[in-house]
Amino acid sequence: MEKKRLYWRICCVAAIILSIITFTPLVIPQGVSKPELGGVPYSLWTSFVITVLLVILTYIGTRVHPGMQNEEEDL
Amino acid sequence: MIFWVWVFGLIYAGLLVFASLRSYKKNRSSEEFMMAGSNIGLTLGVLTFAAALFSTFTFLGMPDFFRINGVAAWIFLAVSDGAMVFLLLWFGYHIRMKVKGMEFRGVAGLISRCYENRLAGYVFFLSSFLFLIPYVGIQIQGIAIFMDAAFPGSFPAWGWSAGIVLIMLIYSEIGGLKAIIFSDAIQGLLLLGVIWIIGWACLSHFGGIGPMFDKIGTVQEDLLSSPGPQGLLTPQFLFASLIAILMIPVTQPQFTTRIVVMKSMKTMQLMAVSLGAFAILVILPTIFIGMYGADLYSEYGRDEFFANAFLYDQPDAVAALAIIGLIAAGLSTTNAQIFALGSELRGLLRGNENSIMTKTKIGIFVFSVIAFFFSIIVIDQLVLLARVSFAGTGIMGPMIILGILSNRKVSPAIIYLSLTGLIIFLLSLGGWIPDMYFDIRLDLILFITLGIAAVISHLTGTKRQLIRPKTKE
Repeated sequence: MEKKRLYWRICCVAAIILSIITFTPLVIPQGVSKPELGGVPYSLWTSFVITVLLVILTYIGTRVHPGMQNEEEDL
Repeated sequence: MIFWVWVFGLIYAGLLVFASLRSYKKNRSSEEFMMAGSNIGLTLGVLTFAAALFSTFTFLGMPDFFRINGVAAWIFLAVSDGAMVFLLLWFGYHIRMKVKGMEFRGVAGLISRCYENRLAGYVFFLSSFLFLIPYVGIQIQGIAIFMDAAFPGSFPAWGWSAGIVLIMLIYSEIGGLKAIIFSDAIQGLLLLGVIWIIGWACLSHFGGIGPMFDKIGTVQEDLLSSPGPQGLLTPQFLFASLIAILMIPVTQPQFTTRIVVMKSMKTMQLMAVSLGAFAILVILPTIFIGMYGADLYSEYGRDEFFANAFLYDQPDAVAALAIIGLIAAGLSTTNAQIFALGSELRGLLRGNENSIMTKTKIGIFVFSVIAFFFSIIVIDQLVLLARVSFAGTGIMGPMIILGILSNRKVSPAIIYLSLTGLIIFLLSLGGWIPDMYFDIRLDLILFITLGIAAVISHLTGTKRQLIRPKTKE
């Protein structure tokens, strides 16, 4: 249970960090579209990666959420 | 095209009728009518949440937003949605634990109970009413504009709007929330299919993703980076939008209700993950349509772009599918919002259950009529009006989160502060007061101030012993 709580907290911190760095020049340098990835402009491919990571984090969150332990409801 | 519109239209109408009749039950309880028996499985849950979330705002608004503001529009919606599904996981757990063992009668009723103060419920209802009705109106208008372009001169725009409102009222009256959820499932799949067909056609125009951005670089290079040609997508605008979108499951009652009526906690959590994947899938093709518009129709107005990209440039069958897909997208969101307003009204009413249900149904009818009139008078960009709707209801976020999470008896100050925040936001929308202070957006200032007030309220609240009602589980 304690481990789950720790993993859940790590997920929360990671989600917050990912969300915040999106609004820094690391992801949206003003007026800059390079380096491209497969022809996709910089801000688009970096923010796409962040979106996918957030969804993956959400999935991990479902596995480690500490409250799930107490749930007796079935799927 | 008319032939295909009839074919797809009849199939779609048949499915809606099927959904309504399947959900219809004689002598159903008000709980069954308003909350679908609180027994929604994973697939239906994902599709109903997605259909309620992705509306004409996504179908028409996002391509237009990409066309005008460029690729950073992805951050505006997709990154924000990615963060929102994570928050949904966290908030969903807490609200489901809060309502466990008690009858959920909408967020307004719940929040009144949390604060032991009915004003909290009224303030929440007021914000929902003020910011959902114009949003519903503009979506109905979006469909009407599109139908007018597809069948010029056949009906006046208000005739299309009236027809849409009527369909919405009939099938929600027959089947209640369950019919809406079934039809949402049909509409969610239809929306996803149609947006990909049109997106793929637009991508084929360029010959691939790389060539698409190469071409856009030669047409208007500013579209390939933030803040875009209009200078709108600044870090501050995007950050304030993130907070507004994050608050959607907390403050927009149609979503909160869907979280609560999911069959189990596990289903709700898997729904959050699937919704994130659905968001990526549905927003991605809007980039292709937007870039197509930027290449061919950059000088055109909104309506001409819609008509060309979705209708005139597509084969007849695809154009017909676009019409039906748009109706599906608009209907699913508008009926979810109108029904949720009815559900919130029900939570605030007192008295005999039959009389409450009658008043609720009258309320749903009145909200629909008001939305119809808004659809005739409102003129705005779909995406920006949607954003105002998210921000306006988002102001209630700190009050709701505090009410649900805090185990202390907190001061009612946050209720009055939220009401004040709402009034200030409305004044700025009306142009009576500025919307920027010290170069910071007013909505961002309000979110931060109310967030801090909520934390202070919790810390200064008095601890109380929570008595949880016995549950059946």
